[in-house]
Amino acid sequence: MTDARTEIFRRLEAARPPASARPAQWSAPPMPIDEMATLRDRLSDAGGSLQIAQREDWTERIVWPVPVSGIAHVYSSVAGVSNKGVGISALTDHDLECLDLCVLSADFAVVENGAVWHRPKSPRERAAALLATHLMIVVDAAELVPTLHHAYSRIGSEAASFGWFLCGPSKTADIEQALVLGAHGPCTMSLILLRD
Amino acid sequence: MGHVDRAREFVADADRTGWHDRALWFVRTKRDRAADLVPDWEALRERASEIKRFALGQLPELWCEFEENAIRAGAVVHWARDGHEHNEIIARLLQERRIERVVKSKSMLTEECGLNPHLEACGIEVVDTDLGERIVQLRNESPSHIVMPAIHLRRGEIGELFAEKMGSPPGLDDPTELTAIARRDLRDRFLRAQAGLTGINFAVAETGGFVVVTNEGNADLGTALPKLHIASVGLEKIIPRQADLAVFLRLLARSATGQAITAYTSHFRGPRPPSPDPQELHIVVVDNGRSHLLGRPAFREALACIRCGACLNTCPVYRRSGGHSYGATVPGPIGSVLETSRDPATHAELPHACSLCGSCSDVCPVRIPLHHQLLAFRGELARAGHQRRSRRAALGLIGWLFARPSGYRWLGRSGRFLARRLPTARLNALVSPWTRQRALPEIPEASFRELYARRRAAENDR
Repeated sequence: MTDARTEIFRRLEAARPPASARPAQWSAPPMPIDEMATLRDRLSDAGGSLQIAQREDWTERIVWPVPVSGIAHVYSSVAGVSNKGVGISALTDHDLECLDLCVLSADFAVVENGAVWHRPKSPRERAAALLATHLMIVVDAAELVPTLHHAYSRIGSEAASFGWFLCGPSKTADIEQALVLGAHGPCTMSLILLRD
Repeated sequence: MGHVDRAREFVADADRTGWHDRALWFVRTKRDRAADLVPDWEALRERASEIKRFALGQLPELWCEFEENAIRAGAVVHWARDGHEHNEIIARLLQERRIERVVKSKSMLTEECGLNPHLEACGIEVVDTDLGERIVQLRNESPSHIVMPAIHLRRGEIGELFAEKMGSPPGLDDPTELTAIARRDLRDRFLRAQAGLTGINFAVAETGGFVVVTNEGNADLGTALPKLHIASVGLEKIIPRQADLAVFLRLLARSATGQAITAYTSHFRGPRPPSPDPQELHIVVVDNGRSHLLGRPAFREALACIRCGACLNTCPVYRRSGGHSYGATVPGPIGSVLETSRDPATHAELPHACSLCGSCSDVCPVRIPLHHQLLAFRGELARAGHQRRSRRAALGLIGWLFARPSGYRWLGRSGRFLARRLPTARLNALVSPWTRQRALPEIPEASFRELYARRRAAENDR
């Protein structure tokens, strides 16, 4: 008996359609005229919120989803926000289950859809982004790209084992199409753009 | 029982049918608004179609490239000729590691293969984690929509279900409250799961990586914690380059739900880094009839489908008959093509669950000519003898009549004569269900041909 792989390749060869030309790269549309307004609208469509602040004092200026002084468990990979509770003491990723807040920095934001491109620095960072009740992502305000085409020319075909676009909090509309924020992951998501 | 009989059960609840119809049309209008915000939308659809056409012509090369790159990144690639082999591979991987509890994110492929019953028979607990899929799993049903699995249910029914299965207070019907109950129940299962199963939206040959999209984050929670990730993928899901993802991801969520992008668009390439907690990644590539469809020029473009569900949302038959009426894993226009190709004898009625309005082809992000394919399937199934006896008899009679012009004219004349004098609407309702709720137009006294001849004669007289 031939093995499955050999047989599947034989079947594909036998059924091969006529060759078709490889499409050229896409010439992407330009940045919308008001990039901040578009980004804000797309993110708000997705249930997220956008704030813009100065790099030196942003932690004092922004509106936090929860008062940081009053919460027990914070995971942060951003300078200026300290880890607290399980953010320091977690032995396994599972221990992050009770995280209140996760603060991460992402590479860039995509204006046409409000998503950010984030490469977790460790598997734990990814788990934290999923298990925390509130997620904050910090991005340099200069790092905006108009569309996903521009995004992928920046990402290239880099060898990282994991990377993701994040847009708004975890959500579902599986019960009568009613939108509910906070399906399995974060219930809120704030994008903070930092200006120098 | 055919599509018509199952649809009759669905439409018996007029309130539900009306709600279902309006809810899906609302999703269609959201899709339109999202597409309108993209200036290059139509060119994007064309490009997506070209990339898929190119990929379908290069499947052996692309899968070789994918396999090589995936192995280099640390994944293990398995090949399955059919659903049964797919299920056995996954059951073996789990049993070898003594795994008893797995979480699964939405994958129409695993539905198609019947993975859940197979694993359950092996004593493995499978929990569907997409909220809609969890709801239908708890009800022992299949999804009625490929993107919104529980769209056939009303909130009160879900409240009853949760009261019975999760011990929530009876009588709840607030979606936020119900979602919170499911979240608590499933969070615990995520934390205890020993393996995460996912589908794949796009496999990228150039990198050996793949992309999974969700709004709930369930594919991510399901794979971020356990030591084993198994991803199932159909042969048609391969695209050549990483940059091609931009084209498909710009189309997918907008077409599916009217969102510009889903909340989570996760790019996997090999397992998690080995420190501190090593993970295994296994990818199971499945044929299950796809190579057969590839060999059929009239229908192979259906393999370009990216499972957005736009053709379901816009289809007047789907919206009013419900997903379960199709009796197939994938319902709606695309399901009628895919399922009929896989099993023509069982699904021969599905190409007739279509008014040939063409709306599906108009919204398809990869421009599959769905209504042309459904029409072509009708002819093919008729020639192969897969046709209801009543339809064959009726069409045979009509064919015979159309071949005899004078007989046709005589029948037209006598038909009009009788129809103008008998209680036609009532008689018609006895034989044709279509006219039960529709008034016939007024029956003319003469045919167009007769009117034309009279007019010419009158003109000649002048």
